[in-house]
Amino acid sequence: MKSTMTLAAALASTVCFSTAAFADGHLSLDGKTIGVAVVGTQHFWDREAFNGAVSTVEELGGTVVPVDGGRDNQVHADNHDILLSQGVDAVISILGDGAVEPKFEALSGAGIPVFTVDHQSPFGTNNTTSDNYYMGTTIGRYMADAIGGEGNVAVFNAFEGALRICGIRAGLWKYVLEDYPGITIIQPELAEEFANAPEDARIKTLDLLSQYPEGTLDAIHVGCWDQPAIGVVQALEEAGRTDVLVTALDGGPDTLEIMAEEGSPFVANVAQQPNLIGSTAAMNVARHFAGETLLPQTFVEVVPVLGQDGAKAAYEQLGYGTLD
Amino acid sequence: MTQPMSQRLLGVFPIIVFACLFAYLGVQSTTFLSLDTLELITKQAVPTVIVSLGLATVVIAGGDDVVAGGIDLSIPATAIICAAIIADQLTNQGASLPFAMILAFGAAAIIGAINAFLVVGLRMTPLLATLSMSVAIVGITKVITSSRRIGVTDETIVFIRDGTIFGIAASVVMTTVLVLVFYHALHRTRWGMNMQATGGSRDAAEISGILTRRFVVQSFLIAAFAGWIASVFVLARGSGSSPGTEENMLLEMVLATFLGAAFSPRRVVTLWGAVLGAVVVSALSVGFISIGVNVFWTGCIKGALILLVVASASVTTKGRS
Repeated sequence: MKSTMTLAAALASTVCFSTAAFADGHLSLDGKTIGVAVVGTQHFWDREAFNGAVSTVEELGGTVVPVDGGRDNQVHADNHDILLSQGVDAVISILGDGAVEPKFEALSGAGIPVFTVDHQSPFGTNNTTSDNYYMGTTIGRYMADAIGGEGNVAVFNAFEGALRICGIRAGLWKYVLEDYPGITIIQPELAEEFANAPEDARIKTLDLLSQYPEGTLDAIHVGCWDQPAIGVVQALEEAGRTDVLVTALDGGPDTLEIMAEEGSPFVANVAQQPNLIGSTAAMNVARHFAGETLLPQTFVEVVPVLGQDGAKAAYEQLGYGTLD
Repeated sequence: MTQPMSQRLLGVFPIIVFACLFAYLGVQSTTFLSLDTLELITKQAVPTVIVSLGLATVVIAGGDDVVAGGIDLSIPATAIICAAIIADQLTNQGASLPFAMILAFGAAAIIGAINAFLVVGLRMTPLLATLSMSVAIVGITKVITSSRRIGVTDETIVFIRDGTIFGIAASVVMTTVLVLVFYHALHRTRWGMNMQATGGSRDAAEISGILTRRFVVQSFLIAAFAGWIASVFVLARGSGSSPGTEENMLLEMVLATFLGAAFSPRRVVTLWGAVLGAVVVSALSVGFISIGVNVFWTGCIKGALILLVVASASVTTKGRS
């Protein structure tokens, strides 16, 4: 019930937010060329954030120069050089690691404002992101509750040091666990691959399960996203392990579908709204050109997802369809 | 013997396709045919050019049969592990750049030597030997970096990324020098001629008294050396070592090297062809972006174009034989 109310509240605020944004009749990108750089389009989150940004720029009358890094951070960074050479009026940059920082510096140095998505940068005008603080603490509480407040937990945490959003999510997850002395985070932490994450996580989980036989491992958490969780669940099924629970963050339709399956070990998630995030970044570009002062960050609401019923409800409420 | 007109037309087909394409891009985009864009294209092609030099050397020495001839698929992985070693030494261990580079050179030399041993000593198929080696190297790289990014702020690396020499991007100038060194060594020295003879016909070269096995060994060592050199430019390009960059580089290296062969009159892998191939691959990426091609179609169009060119080259070669 509580989760349903939270979901409703989150969606209500989202609807209010988006309605207010689109009701801003004075906003326009007419005559502006906006570069939209995304690190990759293979994953739902990346693709949706990209689509949200592109469609909103076009709805506001702007022209889009789209670039896709193919899930390679170096290619993603290089693509910003191309946008610079194209002389675009602004850049929306979605994700990316530290390789993009010199590119942001060059763009802002050339007078081209950079609007980041899920990437805080000193050279960015504004960063649109989910409420990562809430995501980190919520998934920490949900996971701790799911395993009864004690046990051994493994975590896939490759990006805590490389991406600030992941630092917040994983850091606050750990912060919550400090209040559960019975929970031990297995060391060393696991590091997932950026590309081909599900298969990589599947193999690493199978290795982990061979080291931790039944009764010695209680949960596997993915610290910043949930594509690896797909592989984690596959590995648990392959190994016939029903004693390990899975938690993660992002809540795209693919992982919500896994959560909604009968007896799924994937028990908790926090769903983001990537399309709205991308769209909001594009609206912020328009606000910037309209002379409005933007805050350094714009936060977009998230939807906590708990259990099978929570996954079904979130799936429907986020507009992905219905799950029976 | 004079070639029929259709055969000759087919021979220049790859050049016509790309000339038309670049003319189209130039008309559609006001910025594509400019010196700035040319510099950007060459700058972005740098790591691919260098690893392609290594691959071209192995193919020249081993012959251009993709399975049984010379091929080294471990060069991008070598570049990535060297980049990881240098980044780790600079950022995590506090080492100097020369020390870090010497360490990385040692790793590259070991990789080259193992490749040579597998192919020449154990007579393994180069494709399988170097592919296995690539997988192993990527695994070791993950151990070194824990699959995490390592940022680098070393002044020399930053200079290679942002600096200029005589007003041209430093990375482009350095790579041009490297290409000329490779060209001189392979085309203007007796050693280079012997290496080409080895790849052209191993039996004929041996009858002529050339120690062919030695040249094949050397080609793998040179390929590893190219990987080592490329690592510095990979680090500069990404301002550090980011995991997962070897896959795209592997794809672009193979594409560039064999696309380059399609441009050569005899349809064989050459150094200049590899360089041109790398620049063309980079130009396609920049060109498609400059006219705003939908990102979901870019890969498809690029792949189709390359397939068209390579297929036409293959048809021409068959026609001649």
